[in-house]
Amino acid sequence: MLKFQRNKLVSVFQDNPDELRIHGLLDDHIFGLELDLVVGMDDLKIQSIEGKWNREETPECSRALPFLQAAKGFKIDSDTLAQQINKVVSRTSCPHFANLLLECCTAANEAVGVLKWNAAKADQEDLTFEDFRSDTGSRTGVKQAEAIDNNPANENPVEAEPVRTPMNKISGGCFIDLHAHSFPASQCSSVSVDDLVVAAKKIGLDAICLTDHNYVWSRKEIENLRQKHGFHVFGGNEITTDQGDMLVFGMDQDVKGIIKLSELKKMVDQAQGFMIAAHPFRGFLVFNTSQIGMTVEKAMQRPAYQLVHALEVLNGKVTEQENRFAAKVAAGMGLPATGGSDAHAVSDVGKYATHFHQAIESQQDLLEALKSGAYEPFMFRKRKLSKAS
Amino acid sequence: MIENPGGVCPLTLAQAGDFHMTTILCYSRNRSTNVEQVDDKTLISTCSLQDTLTEAFVRIHIQFPELMILQAEGAFIRTASAKEVPVDDALEKIKGVRIGAGMKKIIRGLLREVTSNEELPYLIEEACHAVILAFTKDALSMAPKGKAKSTEFFKNMVKKNIRLYKGCAAFSPGSPLVEGLDL
Repeated sequence: MLKFQRNKLVSVFQDNPDELRIHGLLDDHIFGLELDLVVGMDDLKIQSIEGKWNREETPECSRALPFLQAAKGFKIDSDTLAQQINKVVSRTSCPHFANLLLECCTAANEAVGVLKWNAAKADQEDLTFEDFRSDTGSRTGVKQAEAIDNNPANENPVEAEPVRTPMNKISGGCFIDLHAHSFPASQCSSVSVDDLVVAAKKIGLDAICLTDHNYVWSRKEIENLRQKHGFHVFGGNEITTDQGDMLVFGMDQDVKGIIKLSELKKMVDQAQGFMIAAHPFRGFLVFNTSQIGMTVEKAMQRPAYQLVHALEVLNGKVTEQENRFAAKVAAGMGLPATGGSDAHAVSDVGKYATHFHQAIESQQDLLEALKSGAYEPFMFRKRKLSKAS
Repeated sequence: MIENPGGVCPLTLAQAGDFHMTTILCYSRNRSTNVEQVDDKTLISTCSLQDTLTEAFVRIHIQFPELMILQAEGAFIRTASAKEVPVDDALEKIKGVRIGAGMKKIIRGLLREVTSNEELPYLIEEACHAVILAFTKDALSMAPKGKAKSTEFFKNMVKKNIRLYKGCAAFSPGSPLVEGLDL
């Protein structure tokens, strides 16, 4: 028996040679919606868009409809169309309308190719579609945006003068946000690196780690930030593997694309670095993994977690339940546990942090502290606010 | 609508405003994605595409609760592209990948090593997304009828999962579903 089915139909036709009309329908076990688009043949831009719900999930789904107009002006042959639709339509309107819109646009783009081929055949009867396409260099589908090429030069590993900022004396240790993202190093972040550091300093953290996606901050850049702000800044890297995201410290080598976790493990070990599984049990919008039968015992058997040095059990972008689950898995496996905000905005900074038992003055201190296991995750913002009140 | 009495140019009738001219599609697409539960540990999700230029499918076998891709098969049965798609090599790459956050980036990154074809990763993503929707369906089937109760149900859902907030118009500021929530 089918557990779920989704059907999408897209019809493309012309009422006149200047326009392309597209009708899309999406119908599945949960949603039923339709889209009507008009695309100009000269510039391939969406001239009009209308959406309709046939079956809605929530009582407020109709709010999505006016926001579809943001797609007007999108070019259906743009390399960044998928990214535009995801950024502009998916979140402000509805991800299911965005899904159907992308389907309609890619079909329309193909249709343009077919129409042009038909027109070209008037001069050359035996022209095949394959030959026409390779001659014109047209392509199928919409290209995913290319990853940002981040490749800062590796500096000589000269240890800089430590910045003399007082570390937290409450417990003799220090509080460090081990997971934060800055723009443009991480395209998904909305906060500049300077604003990130200022926010960390303001909230009372002792340091912040820059862990941008597949991006290595050079030691010179890190030192410049430390000097500029009079605040401890450390470098890390959030690397995407085939088994999820890993926070890596102590490895200056950059990693492009997706790497197998086993290969990353070899690189990290060679560099004598430290690897933390980031947000290991980030679930889904409407359900979490325990609701589909995942238990702590089963999670502990995941091969991926045999390869990491620690688990991030307090992450600012997952639910409390998911964080609690991660903490149980870490405890069960005897793995150290860390905390980090996963900040992508100023307001995220310091939500969670890691409390180290000793003061940390340098990148090398941080690495040694991580390996020592002498730390625990900490709900920094909440505790700070409760102490202030 | 009047019948064409044979031999009369439809255009003339159209100009007369009395004749409805059939509009023939210049392109048509049909994409169907199905999730089947085979046993208490295995799901099979298949995404099939049939359109004017392409016929293709991808089938993934998922072990749950891990939601790990155990195996995958697929084919491009009909395509307008002269370049053959190394489907088997590409699908081999995604074995062991778990369906979850970041899976699109992982799938596209792994497939980029083998092929520049863009339909193949999309077929895989749709198949994976359907698995998520299959469990979403189960969760949403608990939603009560009636606007007031339904609103309360979804409000509680946002409270439990902050990622829903601003995820779409229904869960954005101004909507009753997020009204009064301390977010």
